[in-house]
Amino acid sequence: MRKAQYAMVIDSAKCIDCKACVVSCKVANGTPEGFSRNWIKASEPDFAAGAKPRTHFQPGACMHCEAPICVDACPTGATYKNADGIVMIDETLCIGCGNCIPACPYGARFRNPQKRTADKCNYCPERRAAGLLPACVDTCPTKARVFGDIMNPESDAARLLEQHKDHVVQVINQKSNTAPHMYYLASTAPVDWTHEAVMPASMATMTGVVDPVVKTLVGLSGLGVLVMLGRQLLSGHDSSHDSSHDSGPDVHTGSDVQAGQAHKQQTDKE
Amino acid sequence: MRMYKRHDRSDIFIHWFNAVCWFLLLVTGVGLIHNPALNPFGDAFPQVLRGMVGGGGNLLLVHEIIGVAWIFGFVGYILVNPRGAACFLREVFAVSPDRDMPWMFRKLVLMTLGEKALKAMGQPSALLPQGYYNMGQKGFGQVSVIGGIVIAVTGVIMLLSDVYFTADATVAVSWAVTLHYLAVGVVFAGLLVHIYMAAISPDERPGFRSMFTGSVPEEYAKHHHRLWYEREKARAADGE
Repeated sequence: MRKAQYAMVIDSAKCIDCKACVVSCKVANGTPEGFSRNWIKASEPDFAAGAKPRTHFQPGACMHCEAPICVDACPTGATYKNADGIVMIDETLCIGCGNCIPACPYGARFRNPQKRTADKCNYCPERRAAGLLPACVDTCPTKARVFGDIMNPESDAARLLEQHKDHVVQVINQKSNTAPHMYYLASTAPVDWTHEAVMPASMATMTGVVDPVVKTLVGLSGLGVLVMLGRQLLSGHDSSHDSSHDSGPDVHTGSDVQAGQAHKQQTDKE
Repeated sequence: MRMYKRHDRSDIFIHWFNAVCWFLLLVTGVGLIHNPALNPFGDAFPQVLRGMVGGGGNLLLVHEIIGVAWIFGFVGYILVNPRGAACFLREVFAVSPDRDMPWMFRKLVLMTLGEKALKAMGQPSALLPQGYYNMGQKGFGQVSVIGGIVIAVTGVIMLLSDVYFTADATVAVSWAVTLHYLAVGVVFAGLLVHIYMAAISPDERPGFRSMFTGSVPEEYAKHHHRLWYEREKARAADGE
């Protein structure tokens, strides 16, 4: 049962691309060089004659989606949507199969080269447990990033959303709409950087082919056993018992089956 | 009554060691699958099991430890009794289609639909004599050996994934997950029949007992494994 939905409400017009959020996230979470749990994307300025060239900066990270495809791609449930709405990774349960990484339309996930497991934003649980905000939110000098429980109307995030409810935008990939819980006020750019979620062929095969095959086989086998058991109980003994004590033709040895050296004959001591 | 030896002590040990490992690995393994599109026994089973051992990470660790022990158990068995292992493989994979396929078909129909159904199909109800293993046992043996190898190899790949594999090699890990599930599913389907035939069906009671004592009575050997019985008898006659 969902108790909360922690989310980020971002006024990207306030973002000055200082990258403090990216740096503080790296410090707080110890992400290895070349990897980051969050980002600031920039729109391309329009240099056409008569246009006003300007760049819009858009802070982002894992969007803790309502319908996270990464969760569908995880075979063990190491990636799961928590009761507080945060999409979490249980590092101890993650085997590093990499399925979840292409399944995110936002590229929010990476395989941590040190831990060799999946990694992404988890809204800094250690900081929140200590009564602090996530590192990126805490450090933002213009307060472009606002964090809170949008199911709690008293939270800053919920109030902002309510104030701007008629002009809130989400960055969505039309082919993979995961209903992200990352809200941008008024407008944001760029919006064309997402990619269609890719379910790895191995996982698609597991859920679409292997799973039905396995369940059918086990079902048939179980049914066969039940039928045999039913016959045994009804008839009081195995109906094939007599006929398996075959009176078939005496076939002498020396045919195709090799004698087993380990199987020596012994006589009963009695 | 004469008794015919079928299993060494190491054979008996590896059978029951394998049985215990398979049971524990199956239970913990099913508990490790948690995905809305899979969940073989529903959503609650993995949650309950994980709760019992203090989280999914611990369950994974338990599964890995038992899995490694299972592999080492087989390595140990092969070192202790290489001839027994080789003999098992030879017997299990020695299929004589002309004899074994009709046997398999007739036995299957007899066990499920009955003798009348078999006669209605125009088939005689007499079963052709079988060797050290009958075709049903061979079939399950083949599935277990091939499935077991797939399970062990894919298991080791998954075990090493977060120790050894880099991000661009995870395709192997991802396919290992799929193949592990497939192999376990196929072996488990066979295992249900194996457990019924060996432990529940009265037909194979002496065979079941031999998995503790190592030997079967002459009557049973003669009726169930005629070719093997004749071979053993001839060998005894030669020896005496």
